[in-house]
This record gives sequence, structure tokens and C-alpha cells, in this order.
Amino acid sequence: MNALEIQNLHKTYTDKKGEKIAVDDVNLTVKQGEFFGLLGQNGAGKSTMISCITGINQFTTGSILVMGHDIEVDYQQARLAIGLSPQDFNVDVFAKIEKSIDLVGGYFGMSKADRNTRAQELFELFDLVQFKDKPFQALSGGFKRRYVLARALMHDPDVLILDEPTAGIDVEQRRALWKYLQELHKQGKTIILTSHYLEEVELLCDRVAVMNHGKIIADLTKAEFTKGGAKLEDTYLKLTESI
Amino acid sequence: MNIIRLSAVAKREVQRFMRIPVQTILAPLISAALYILVFGIILGNRINFLENINYIDFVFPGILMMQLIFGSYSQSAFSLFFHRSTKTITEMLTSPLSYSEIVLGYIIGATARALIVSSGVYAIAIIFTDATPANIPFFIFYVLVVSVLFALLGLLIGLWAEKMEQLNMLQTFVLTPLIYVGGVFNSIDMLPENIHWLVKINPIFYMVDGIRYSMIGYSESNLLSGAFFLTGSAVILFALVIYLFKIGWKLRS
Repeated sequence: MNALEIQNLHKTYTDKKGEKIAVDDVNLTVKQGEFFGLLGQNGAGKSTMISCITGINQFTTGSILVMGHDIEVDYQQARLAIGLSPQDFNVDVFAKIEKSIDLVGGYFGMSKADRNTRAQELFELFDLVQFKDKPFQALSGGFKRRYVLARALMHDPDVLILDEPTAGIDVEQRRALWKYLQELHKQGKTIILTSHYLEEVELLCDRVAVMNHGKIIADLTKAEFTKGGAKLEDTYLKLTESI
Repeated sequence: MNIIRLSAVAKREVQRFMRIPVQTILAPLISAALYILVFGIILGNRINFLENINYIDFVFPGILMMQLIFGSYSQSAFSLFFHRSTKTITEMLTSPLSYSEIVLGYIIGATARALIVSSGVYAIAIIFTDATPANIPFFIFYVLVVSVLFALLGLLIGLWAEKMEQLNMLQTFVLTPLIYVGGVFNSIDMLPENIHWLVKINPIFYMVDGIRYSMIGYSESNLLSGAFFLTGSAVILFALVIYLFKIGWKLRS
């Protein structure tokens, strides 16, 4: 089964300047268990597409299936399959993180006992135990990112979508997060990653697609991107600069 | 409807107002106590416009209603606006919560806050008034229908508002004037006859009158029509709010 199937996805915005195309007729399939990288400049349409997949944005035309569930018709099953770590923190900054993650488990219908066990496991995994009684705003940038990742994993989703998960954190914390992500991939999770750090995409992903002006302009395996010893960054720049 | 999911939304709402109890609970209690003291006791002892009913007993149901209205409206309107402006609403939009679970969760939270504040007001009033409800089923009906109605109105405004001050605008320019001319402090008979119609088209009048009847057995309107009007308005608003959530109005771009 494919973890994600996007067909003819089109998303337009209307603002004061008129209609803007954010995602332009995108077709994309991500296989179950794949570590998939989505690259592109700011404004290329990556975050908009992720927002369409996760239900934050509506889309104009097209269809999206997550683990075989249509995200509009069967939105509850589709959302059960997704864990999202968004680029911008969407956390109640005043709430203690232990309470926040418990509520999120509740949104996903987990029982109190399951929520307690899972939150404890994740806080231990991400070294967050010492902060569980702290509000989100009291955490450093790196621990905020860890909390958001833990929250995305709370309901043990099949597909993990990470939008710039290492933005703004130091090298040590970034490497620790890479290790967690590699472990999750080994456990069979499908991971969709967007990042501006190309070395991280090169290290982690099996397959990489590049978006530009709302379109997918390349969709290749890591081997194809790095053919002949090329760095992913060089291939990426050649692709985006040639447009 | 999944009870775990629904209770998570309601719990989040309760946690939110319990984090700031001075603003959400203590301040309205002080305000209500001052109303009871000034209008009910200091001025009330000099007002005798109804036979066999003390002015404080006449005024108190309206003061209770004010706290229900403001408590319920403020909770849902400010909470939804906060979740929209901080984008924390996306925590819910990306989860399998149904739209009715989200809306009901907000309503339960708003009603809980209104009931906590009203219970406190009631406790203060017991000292000064004959505050025992005369008709308990009617009393429960009015308390619940008014809380739910204003929770829904708060959700509508919380969805519509682009700025924080727009939330206060409805409270200041619409709700407060309607409450003050809705028979909280005076009987309709105390007003000139040519403006009685103004009171009769004011929905707050039917809420105050209904809860007053349930508490002291005194009424100036057709209670049955009032009850139907309030229930009908709540049902229509509920359907409208669910529809707006479903189409993602001001929630999903």
C-alpha cells in the first residue's frame, strides 16, 4: 500500500493582488516505509502541500489518500494515520507540556492509561522528563522541537510529516534528532521531511522530490541525485537555477 | 461522537479558564457582589414597586443571568479567537476530532465557566436574598439554554473576529445595552408604554423574565413562547456554527 497518493493537486489563493497558484497540478506517491525528502525554496509550495495533506488547508482540486483513506471523505481515518511536526509551533505556550500532550492524545481518542504510558515513553525518548511540568514557552528552541516531534508521535501514526524539524536548533540537538528519525525509519514509519539543510536530507532520505513554483520539477532516488559522487546540494542548485 | 475526544476538548477549555481564575472567576464574582450590594441592598431598600417582592429578589435573577451571559460568551469567543490567532487550532484540525466534537467541547467549557461563576454569585446572594428557585426544572432549563446560546454566539464571533477588540465590541455595544434594557433592574411597567415594544423585541428580556419566573414565580412575558424562541435560536446557531466549522470558514485557508 502507498502511504501517500496525491493526484492532480491544485491549490490557489486569492489575495489583494489576485489569484496565486501555490500548488500546481501535483502528482506524487510515497511508498509505505519510505523516508521521503521534499525540497524547494521558500514559497515553493512545500508547506502549503503539507497543510493540504494534514487538513490545515483546503485545496482547490485533486485528491489525497493517506494509507488508502481519502482525506476529505474519510478524514478521521486519514488523520489517525498522520503525525505532523509543523514548521511553526502551534502549541499553547502557557500550558505545561505534560498536560498539552495528554490533550492531544485525547483528541486522537486514546484512553487515559494509554496516554499516560505513551507520554512517559516519549518524554523519556526525547529527554523531556525534566521539563514535563514546564510550560512550552519555558523550553529552549531544541527542546521545543523535540516536544513537537513527541506530540506528532503520540498516537503512533504510520506516516510522520516533518516540516523543517531542525530549523533553528544547534548542531548537537540536530544530530540527536537525526538519530531519533533514523530509529523511527527502522521501525517502519513512513517519513516525509522538508528541510533547507540539504546534508540532512542527503543523510536521511531514500528519495527526494524538488518543488518549484508549486510544481514538482524532479523526483529521484538518493542514488540518482548523487550519481557520480555529486552532492545533493549541487544537483538541487542546478535544478532550481535552471528554471 | 467519541466521548474521549469530546472530553479532551472540554478539558482543554476548563484548564484554560482555570489557569487565570482571577480574570475568569473572581472578577465576575466581585462585579456581581457589587451589583447585589448597590442595586439590591443600598438602593433596593428604598424601592417598593411590587407587592410581596423585595427589590433584591426581583433584581437578583437578572444579575445571575448577566454572569451566565458574559461568562459563557467570553469563554468561547476569546478561547476560539486565541486558538485561531496562535494557530493552536491546527492541533485540533489535524486530529480525527469531528466538527460536532470540537463545537460541543467549546460549549461544555463555556457552560462550565458560566456555571462556576453563577454558583459563586448564587452563594453570595443566599446571604442577602430569598434565592431558592421556585421552579427547579425551569431554572435548570434557563441556566443551560442561556449558557449554550451565548457559548454559540461567542463561537460565531470568535470565528469572525480579526482583532481582539472586535470580541469586546459585541459585549460593549450590543450585549451590555440589551441587558440593561432587558428588564434586569426594572419591571416593564416602570417604562413609558410607548417603548414597551422595544423591550418585547429584546431577546434578553425573555431570558431574564424566564429565570426570574423560575426563581420568584414572577413573570411579565409569555414563558412558553420565550422558551421556544430560546431553544430554537440555540438549535439554529448550533447548526450554523457546525456548518462554518465544516467548511473551514476563517479556520482553513
